[in-house]
Amino acid sequence: MKRAAQTPAILRDLRSLKVVVIHPRDQDCEELLAQLQRIGCDVEVCWPRLDALPCNTGLVIMAIRPEALSVDYPWLGTSTSPPVIPVVTYENPITIEAVLQLNAFATIPSPVRSFGLLTAIAVALTQFKASRSRERYIERLEQKQAKVLVIRQATRIVMDSRGMSEEDAYQLLRSQAMLKREQIETVAGDIVKAYETLSF
Amino acid sequence: MLAVEEINRAGGVSGREIELVCLDPQCQPRRYAELAEQLILEHRVRVIVGCYMSSTRKAVIPIVERHNALLFYATPYEGFEYSRNVIYTGAAPNQNTLPLAGFMLTQFGSRVSMIGSDYVCPYESNRVMSDLILERGGEKLDETYLPLDAPWESYLDAAKRIKQLAPDFIFSTVVGEGIPHLYRAFAQVRLDPYRTPIASHMTSEAEIAIMGNDLAQGHITSATYFQSVGTAANLGAVARYQARFGDDQPTNMCWEASYFQMHLLADAIRRFGSDDPTLLLRVLPGLEFDAPQGRVRIDEHNNHTYLHPLIGRVDARGRFDIIGRAPERVKADPYVVSHSTPAWTAQAHPELARAGAYR
Repeated sequence: MKRAAQTPAILRDLRSLKVVVIHPRDQDCEELLAQLQRIGCDVEVCWPRLDALPCNTGLVIMAIRPEALSVDYPWLGTSTSPPVIPVVTYENPITIEAVLQLNAFATIPSPVRSFGLLTAIAVALTQFKASRSRERYIERLEQKQAKVLVIRQATRIVMDSRGMSEEDAYQLLRSQAMLKREQIETVAGDIVKAYETLSF
Repeated sequence: MLAVEEINRAGGVSGREIELVCLDPQCQPRRYAELAEQLILEHRVRVIVGCYMSSTRKAVIPIVERHNALLFYATPYEGFEYSRNVIYTGAAPNQNTLPLAGFMLTQFGSRVSMIGSDYVCPYESNRVMSDLILERGGEKLDETYLPLDAPWESYLDAAKRIKQLAPDFIFSTVVGEGIPHLYRAFAQVRLDPYRTPIASHMTSEAEIAIMGNDLAQGHITSATYFQSVGTAANLGAVARYQARFGDDQPTNMCWEASYFQMHLLADAIRRFGSDDPTLLLRVLPGLEFDAPQGRVRIDEHNNHTYLHPLIGRVDARGRFDIIGRAPERVKADPYVVSHSTPAWTAQAHPELARAGAYR
């Protein structure tokens, strides 16, 4: 395995990581807090409800307990919600389903031990970041794909109505866009819309 | 061993003597695990002192955790660990690597060659050093790892190659039997330690005694103890040590940590009159002792020890001339990823010129 020239940013930034721990005050919670403090994170604890996340929360560690399965966390699953690492006490299907719903990249088994927490945090943060940037990339691709489709439709309309070659039709769209100081997909969209309006 | 004899001669703990049960795991991690279990189950031992390399400590931890025994570990190591059943009395990276990096990068420059033994601790030390070099716009010239049983020729080859690169200093994380090979190789290729020293946090008086003073002279080590420390506690302990083991026997960092941790253990046992690890763990965190290096304290939260970082340069007698020291004891921070070097290492103005005539 090749080693990176420099320590990954995720590890270097751990000391400024804000961690919210949603966990009842018990032995596991104490173990978690002590280890998070050894690692040097900024920690806040609450249980069982948390209606709004404190700002700059970079990670949530959440106990999955039967008594809290019905609690609604409105910030979960939104585009701004941070990664969640579940602390798992049971392995029954209900609990596992709850874990899966959280879209977790790492889990912490109960009873909590100090060893393993740092790795779980590093994996969760890294995979979360990768997944977010993949989502953004896909979104951009989809938008681009939609634009390409509209431009192709508009080109086809110009070709048919003016008897032009594909290349000439495209160049016409392009020069119109430059003239109006618009993006080519905007001009193309107008043409497609106008064509659809005319041909009821 | 000296500490145990001192404790017993002074009446033992709670009217009983400390008895050492010694087993030799022959440097094999698996043997460490087996013998640790044997100590606990057959010899009814509750407290184990020892382990040297990280792999041996990792092998023993599951055993002491399962049986709720206690391990006292006296060697500097690479950090990123906490077990409630381990008391760490050797230096964490922020207590030895960091002062060494700060000192060397300030005093000698930031073009660095790295050479180490091929296992986890050197990798981690070099990661810390590499980050610090990059932050300063310095240059890591090369990074060499040699197997623990590498022959002398490998060290000689490495020394020749490193001499060609002309670094400002060499950062060595070589351990054990490789250390004398390394220093001999650098002497053979005629690298002047007063210009291009080897900087290490593992080379101690013990290794110097093996390689000979002339090979070590001028090279630099960072540790939390040297035999040359001038505290009253150290002068007394060294005198007793040499009276017991011989005038020519030097003390070193691992001995010192083993020595004071035994006294800390005895103090803890006295508080309860018991060696039950659960009870001991209630008093050990926060406990202090006047160790040879100065007053030390076990941290309440991470079971590591507040220690006194020093920078030493080997003199003609094979002792460390202390050329830098932290202004106060330093809390161990085993989980720090991103290091910044302590201010005192940049502010130190040691007399780096060669003492005595050019050899």
